[in-house]
Amino acid sequence: MPYIGSEDTVRDLRRVLSNPNVQSDQLRYRNTILKVIRAMSQGVDVSGLFSEMVKACATVDIVQKKLVYVFLCSYATLNPELSLLVINTLRKDCQDPNPMVRSLALRNMTNLRLPSLVEYVEQPLTAGLRDRAACVRRVAVLGWAKLHNLQTNSEIDAAVVNELYSLLRDPDPVVMVNCLRALEEILREEGGVAINKPITHHLLNRLKECDIWGQCEVLRILQRYRPQSEDELFNILSLLDVSLISPHPPVMAATLSLFLSLCSGLPAVGLAALERVRGPLLAACGNTSREMQFTALCHIQLLLRSLPGLMGEHYKRFFCGYAEPAYIKQRKIEVLVELVNDDNVAILLDELRGYCTDVNISTAHAAISAIGRIGRSYSDKCLEILTELLGLKQEHITSAVVQTMRDLVWVCPQCSRTVCSAVEGCEAEIQDSQGRHALLWLLGVYGEQVSSVPYTLEVFIDGVRSEASVGVKMELLTATVRLFLCRPAETQDMLGRLLHYCIEEETNMCVSDQALLYYRLLHCGIEETRKVLQCRRSDPSLGVLIGRPAEPINQWSYIFNTLEPLRPGAIETESATIGGSPEHMTFDPKPNNDLSDTLSYSFGKTVRSGESEHVQCPTIFRCSPQSLQAAMQLVNIQTLAFTPPHTLPWRVYLYTNTQNKHSADTCHGTLILGELLYTGEEIQKKSKDEENVGVEARQDKREEEREEDTAEGRSEKERVKKNTAEKGIKVTLKQQPRDEKALKGFLSVLTTVLHALSSE
Amino acid sequence: MSASAIFVLDLKGKVLICRNYKGDVDMAEIDHFMSLLMQHEEEGLICPVMAHGNVHFMWIKHSNLYLVATTNKNSNASLVYSFLYKLVEVFTEYFKELEEESIQDNFVVVYELLDELMDFGFPQTTDSKILQEYITQEGAKLEVAKTKVPTTVTNAVSWRSEGIKYKKNEVFIDVIESINVLVNANGSVMSSDIVGSIKLKTMLSGMPELRLGLNDRVLFALTGWSGDKGKTVVMEDVKFHQCVRLSRFESDRTISFIPPDGESELMSYRINTHVKPLIWIESVIEKFSHSRVEIMVKAKGQFKKQSVANNVEVRVPVPSDADSPKFKTSTGHAKYVPEKNLVVWTIKSFPGGKEFLMRAHFGLPSVENDEAEGKPPITVKFEIPYFTVSGIQVRYMKIIEKSGYQALPWVRYITQSGDYQLRTNV
Repeated sequence: MPYIGSEDTVRDLRRVLSNPNVQSDQLRYRNTILKVIRAMSQGVDVSGLFSEMVKACATVDIVQKKLVYVFLCSYATLNPELSLLVINTLRKDCQDPNPMVRSLALRNMTNLRLPSLVEYVEQPLTAGLRDRAACVRRVAVLGWAKLHNLQTNSEIDAAVVNELYSLLRDPDPVVMVNCLRALEEILREEGGVAINKPITHHLLNRLKECDIWGQCEVLRILQRYRPQSEDELFNILSLLDVSLISPHPPVMAATLSLFLSLCSGLPAVGLAALERVRGPLLAACGNTSREMQFTALCHIQLLLRSLPGLMGEHYKRFFCGYAEPAYIKQRKIEVLVELVNDDNVAILLDELRGYCTDVNISTAHAAISAIGRIGRSYSDKCLEILTELLGLKQEHITSAVVQTMRDLVWVCPQCSRTVCSAVEGCEAEIQDSQGRHALLWLLGVYGEQVSSVPYTLEVFIDGVRSEASVGVKMELLTATVRLFLCRPAETQDMLGRLLHYCIEEETNMCVSDQALLYYRLLHCGIEETRKVLQCRRSDPSLGVLIGRPAEPINQWSYIFNTLEPLRPGAIETESATIGGSPEHMTFDPKPNNDLSDTLSYSFGKTVRSGESEHVQCPTIFRCSPQSLQAAMQLVNIQTLAFTPPHTLPWRVYLYTNTQNKHSADTCHGTLILGELLYTGEEIQKKSKDEENVGVEARQDKREEEREEDTAEGRSEKERVKKNTAEKGIKVTLKQQPRDEKALKGFLSVLTTVLHALSSE
Repeated sequence: MSASAIFVLDLKGKVLICRNYKGDVDMAEIDHFMSLLMQHEEEGLICPVMAHGNVHFMWIKHSNLYLVATTNKNSNASLVYSFLYKLVEVFTEYFKELEEESIQDNFVVVYELLDELMDFGFPQTTDSKILQEYITQEGAKLEVAKTKVPTTVTNAVSWRSEGIKYKKNEVFIDVIESINVLVNANGSVMSSDIVGSIKLKTMLSGMPELRLGLNDRVLFALTGWSGDKGKTVVMEDVKFHQCVRLSRFESDRTISFIPPDGESELMSYRINTHVKPLIWIESVIEKFSHSRVEIMVKAKGQFKKQSVANNVEVRVPVPSDADSPKFKTSTGHAKYVPEKNLVVWTIKSFPGGKEFLMRAHFGLPSVENDEAEGKPPITVKFEIPYFTVSGIQVRYMKIIEKSGYQALPWVRYITQSGDYQLRTNV
């Protein structure tokens, strides 16, 4: 077809369309309309033909009608006045003896999306609800939802709502499901369609008649139902059991979601349900569609949070095929890490080792850091593999391995010797800043164990002028000063050169400030410097938190079967340090969504709700700020400020920013600010007067138990200690916007962390 | 569920056809799709769900098309993907091949289908058998009479219309099993399973009632039939066509149904068992840097002597910079496919128990290729007729129709390769 400018095309088409000879020849007329639609699909602006097309819709040819409607629906909003002309034809079609024509007319009437037409549409829609043919009723029911969507603020006739409710009993299952969908939309303000006992039982009984789309819809809506008795609950559960092992992954997932919400009070039943879906989920992982595989994998990750042993024996199902896309491979690698046990560790590591040389660099990195994670429990085997990988002398692999080793050493200091001998001499291959950053940290901290460190650092120092990364320069400073502390003779000269360069010539403020700091620190004497820089080489507090305990199901059940688990990093694995040394973790907070926005609010304004609770872990105030910070960071809580340890009153301010997407449609983050206060005095009973008496009461009970506990068989000396032990940390939380679920989750996480820290 | 709009794009990201169902997401948002995709691709992090602002794109790729659903709700991802695949299925049944050309040639039907498949973001009629009754490609031939509503839209048996007539009543049953195998470089089988499906081609008049008997172990345990245990089969993840009465199957494992007319997949299943790889490959690939690659591949048929594997293709990966191929085979012929970096060794018929050999020699350039190459596995394709790995058998097929005609069932068994990979050392 020769290229014709859009104006010419439109003009030509208009001429043909208005030609009476064409209009009288149905075939030619239709072919012309076909050309219009084709032009429209190709992006030509044919809106100028609106009035001609309006005329064309008065025809007996149903295909022509459909084509004209497609056109009209696309351009109606541009021509609201002319669209009025169509309404007559459409209304006439609604009286047509042919149900196909009726439903077509009704559907397109509501698809025009013109508020001005609402008054003309209501009457045919009402008639449509009572039409004999199911296909018309299907369209009419959804039509009301569309109408409501058009004018969300207008009241919808109560009679219509009643009519829709009664249509839930329609013999046609699609009409029934459409009713649910429409009512959800119309009654959204009131929290959606009312789900009571008769409706629930009716829907459950008809579940089998629905197609998979309908089943999913019904199952989702039933999540709002709360059975009145345990008997009823178990009756419902046994009815649902068949769909729980449905071969259609969406139905299975929707059923599981419903199961979990129904038995939120019965964790044991929930866990049993997870066991039950293992088979179908594994089957979904073998689905021919990659996207379905991907969703299944993401959901398996969620399940593993509560039942780490769920897939243990099926680990081979998560081995990657060669041609699988990277997003599947990476998820599989994440799952594999969770499935490691004594029996399969050798096979698993062997397999993971194969992925380390994947062509896709991010997959290779994922595999390498997975080996590092496994290394926390099986360090010898993993270090062997990692060392072997260094031998490949591949730039990106070496860098990833060094970063992984750095993280491993931070958690398992016993690996340091092997790591030190392995990283020796690999500086030449590391080109990226993150890798060099990690290497420098290792060299600085374990400088005395690697003989060649001074030479390596010298190369770095000589090249500092051409170094682009600020982070690497700062790490280089720290590493050199540290090395100076243990090997002064070899390092003195180059440290002098480095400090001189950084103070005199470096333009970056951070780097020169740090250099100045070290310079002055060295003036104070070696011992002072040692005190500041002799960092901890590992974080034992991490050890407590690493073996991730099984989480309760309700921590994740609300995001199950939504988009949320599919997002990258949605499943909270271990917080991987991104560049930087582990100590500095707190300085690069995870990409916290719209952090600056939320923090710019002043405390008083935004905070809507205050909540306070007492946590029993008095020894916490002796805990060092670093480990506190590191532990909080691990669970994504940022510390703002804290008093030094051992001071009274002891305070910590912290905040977290959750970005939760639950309850289907709402998407909002919530900011939680918290204050931990330890006064060293008895808990003020008067705080009972505050809002949450319930919490306090519970607290009292716990205290009593504790008192009994401690009272038994303790010496007098310890009794003094016990006095302090009875004092709690007062946790005051403020939140914006209010989100009960997030707050509860936050509190439970915080409590766990505090307990873990104080039990050290 | 709630998809706001559905788009069909070509590989360049140009919208071929689209349908706005809800009107709550700006249709111009799709312009961001391609740039997002490119960006993710560069980072090596392609993901089937991508976000732009509060709009999410969920997409699949089929031949040279992208099918994209947009939504601004936190919708159910697996349901959206199921729907997109349903679209592919329906379109494929209409146009045989779903690709850019077929969309462009049939855009009228595509518009009609999109209209019926979904309304206001909710899937409506998605059964292609039903759709085919009232949306026909012959629509272009202008028949005003052919617009009456099909009975199936409201029928109790929605997948079959009444009044079907055949002169000769027959039903063809195909039992097709494909085996997936992953073998490690050191020759141990990492994972293997069988995916089977039973396909029907029904040419029966009226509303026949069919009953299918299989040698399913659970059934035998249930009926107390104590036959040779080795000849029964345990199936997992059994998935039936909607026509099968599931309640019957659950109570007494009887597969009874009123079949859809024409071709359909009655059931599919998976058997997760350790199968001996039917064609075993031993390979020695020696790479002498800067000079040559020597490949020796031995293929052995590990199945019954009576059976014959047809159209066997062994695909051996070679380095992308290899040149001057030389082959020697004990049977069949080998061919170098440089665009895929493969040697394809084809054996037209491969009897069970036999062993064949192929040697290949390639030259390598003296300048080394520094592009990173993965370690692609050897893959094998084959087809063995009259044989099922799992040993599943159709024991009977009963056909009952109230007019009482005699109908003939025909059964055919085929085993073929699925995802059949053997890793190599090089």
